[in-house]
Amino acid sequence: METLIRIDNLHKSFYDGDSELKVLKGVNLEVSKSEILAIMGASGVGKSTLLHIIGTLDRPSKGSIFYESQDITMFNENELTQFRNDAIGFVFQFHQMLPEFTAIENVVMSRLIKNNKRSRSVDTKSSGSNEIYETAEKLLDSVGLSDRLNHYPSQLSGGERQRVAIARAMMNNPKVILADEPTGNIDDKTSDAVLDVLWDVNERLHQTFIIVTHDTRISERAKRTVQLIDGKIAE
Amino acid sequence: MKFEWFVASRYLLSRRKQSFISIISVISILGVGLGVAIVIIVIAVLDGVEHGLRDRFLANEAHVVLRLIDHSFFSGYQEKIDNISQVEGVVAASPVVYSQMGVFQLGQKSLTDAIYIKGIDLEQEDKVTGFSQYVSGSVEFQTSPLIEVAERREAETISGGIVLGYRLANQLGLSEGDVLRLVVKLEDNPMSVGSPTLFVDFANFVVIGVYESELAIYDSRIGYIDISTAQKLYENFGKVNVILVRLEDSEMAPALSPIIEEAAGFSEVIEIPMTTTWLETHSALFAALKMERIATIIIEALIILVAAFNIISTLIMTVMEKTRDIGTLRTIGASRGNIMRIFMLQGSVIGMIGTIAGSALGLYICWLLSTNIIRPSHWYVLLVCVILSICQIVITYRNIDIVGMTRSIFVLIGSIILILSANILVIASLLMFRDSVDLLVSFADRLLSSVANVLPFVLPFWLLTILTVVISIVSLSLFIFWIFMMIRSWFKLSAKWKIAFFSSWMIAIVFGLFCLVEPISLLELGFSEIYQMNQLPIKVNWYFVCLINLFSFEICWLATIYPAWQASKLKPIEALQYE
Repeated sequence: METLIRIDNLHKSFYDGDSELKVLKGVNLEVSKSEILAIMGASGVGKSTLLHIIGTLDRPSKGSIFYESQDITMFNENELTQFRNDAIGFVFQFHQMLPEFTAIENVVMSRLIKNNKRSRSVDTKSSGSNEIYETAEKLLDSVGLSDRLNHYPSQLSGGERQRVAIARAMMNNPKVILADEPTGNIDDKTSDAVLDVLWDVNERLHQTFIIVTHDTRISERAKRTVQLIDGKIAE
Repeated sequence: MKFEWFVASRYLLSRRKQSFISIISVISILGVGLGVAIVIIVIAVLDGVEHGLRDRFLANEAHVVLRLIDHSFFSGYQEKIDNISQVEGVVAASPVVYSQMGVFQLGQKSLTDAIYIKGIDLEQEDKVTGFSQYVSGSVEFQTSPLIEVAERREAETISGGIVLGYRLANQLGLSEGDVLRLVVKLEDNPMSVGSPTLFVDFANFVVIGVYESELAIYDSRIGYIDISTAQKLYENFGKVNVILVRLEDSEMAPALSPIIEEAAGFSEVIEIPMTTTWLETHSALFAALKMERIATIIIEALIILVAAFNIISTLIMTVMEKTRDIGTLRTIGASRGNIMRIFMLQGSVIGMIGTIAGSALGLYICWLLSTNIIRPSHWYVLLVCVILSICQIVITYRNIDIVGMTRSIFVLIGSIILILSANILVIASLLMFRDSVDLLVSFADRLLSSVANVLPFVLPFWLLTILTVVISIVSLSLFIFWIFMMIRSWFKLSAKWKIAFFSSWMIAIVFGLFCLVEPISLLELGFSEIYQMNQLPIKVNWYFVCLINLFSFEICWLATIYPAWQASKLKPIEALQYE
């Protein structure tokens, strides 16, 4: 299978005054296209830190991350932002939706940012506003929320918000979707529905997922599970 | 900028349950708006005073005064006037015999006053200063029938008629037909030997008219007589000592005065001409006004600065409340620039709306302050506000909260009753110290005051005082509560109703201001003598209005930079984990 992400000897330390806290101590990992990879591990072992670094939200202390042979640790701030917008989707434990915007507006947001940048450069081929909303509607439809388009986050249940988050993550056709405890904050039954959506997306669109979780049901369903133990990956 | 607009506009209009932030943006807008409005009004008043004074001065003031450097008389003035009139930009010129004379009143032994006397040629003087139009009574200096009457009555020789400034006439206690005696000459007697004696010459004049220019310095100091009479008194036949010139454009005075000096054609060897322009005559006054204006502009600029601080704190609070949102936006690919622009847009919109609304308010109040129309009673304002408030409360709570609705209406009616009773008590308290409160005009006022009239007899003084203070404070706080209630219920309305009530309230405010804001009468306040005009003058300087708009917007824009920068430098992860 084709490799999408390759992580080489990744280190991350946090500093509090003089004391150094080593969280990641040489992580090596390869993620193939259209696979669902579950990263398991005890609390505080650095799963989320790893995910943030993969998602370009944080920088490693040492090591490289290659997305299709592109080393993103060499990117500057602006390139990272752009890369995040284009290539990565996020789903968090807490939904992280913007409360002033409806479900569909939350979904289109990342595309609006993308077009905003494009419209300032020479590329005029950016799709029109209607087209964006149509895409978002299809995405929300595919996560089973076609009747919740114009609801505000406060009017949605936890599971629904999580599904909106998945739709939002997919808006820009990312290379990978990174999920941090996507079922951490919802009950088992709702979790199943959310996971069904994830796997459905994976099957239909061959979307790659990296999921950080405690939830054994995810690891059971995932094609591949790795453990993060003491700052290193164990298959 | 489309994406930034999308987010910023939603933050401004935020319809979340805690509509706190939006109320803050409303307050920020009010802050900027009131600042700009006050600046515009104050500057309009100052400009108005300056221009009012200038107009007053110039209406009956010659723009250029031509005389000899030693103030002596000169002949051939008619020829000189003809020459001066030929100069481009000159409207007219007139000859004047200008002097100062002591005043005796008939039957009194001592000198009462010293006044300026202008001997004028009526026809020419009218062209320069428009003299006749300020006179009530007669301007027939030689032919007025009053002269003959007075001559017969007083059995004295009367030299002619005199027109006095009305303040001067009041001071001297003279009215039309009265006679006053002027000391024409008071000089050393060349015949006297030993201790010097004085040679005194009198002339009697009949007051034939009163001159009122509303300009105190003229109305209280000057008397006008005929030029030929004046020449006779000084035995200077065919001579004058001053020529007054009026120009098409008063601002041209400094430029034209040398040309006028030249045109007059004095033989410069013995007669050295000298001109004084109106700007020089009143330079101290206009310099003082200018000084006052600069000081005020600086203070007013500070008001806008304070309003800008308001924007800073609003934005900092918004940034704090939106920290998690900022994190979310950053994770989905918003750049630092995006975030910065979102918050700068938000602040700039506050600044822009505030500035524009403030300018509109300021200009409207300026218009109201300068327009004399009979206004409806101020009680209509209360009536309109009450009706509108009840409508808004009923529509807001009609389906969701009947208890809230009744409670709000109860508070509303309670506050109105308290406001009215506070009014009655204030009037009653005033009545204790004054015989009548005379500013009451409308029916409702009369009704209230009739109740108030009874109160001092029913209640003891101390109780009345305490009641007045307590109820005034309570009604004031209820009134403020009322305003906040309206703002809160407004946020609960649907978009359609929001627009409807917003425009209704705007119309109500416009109407309310129309009822309440009237031209300020300086006469009533007793300032008319100081400012030399009867009504507070207003002049809107459009150039300045544009300038203050730009300045205000600039300051508001600058105020957005720091909070927006602070928002943009938040690290995505820290923002996401912010609680």
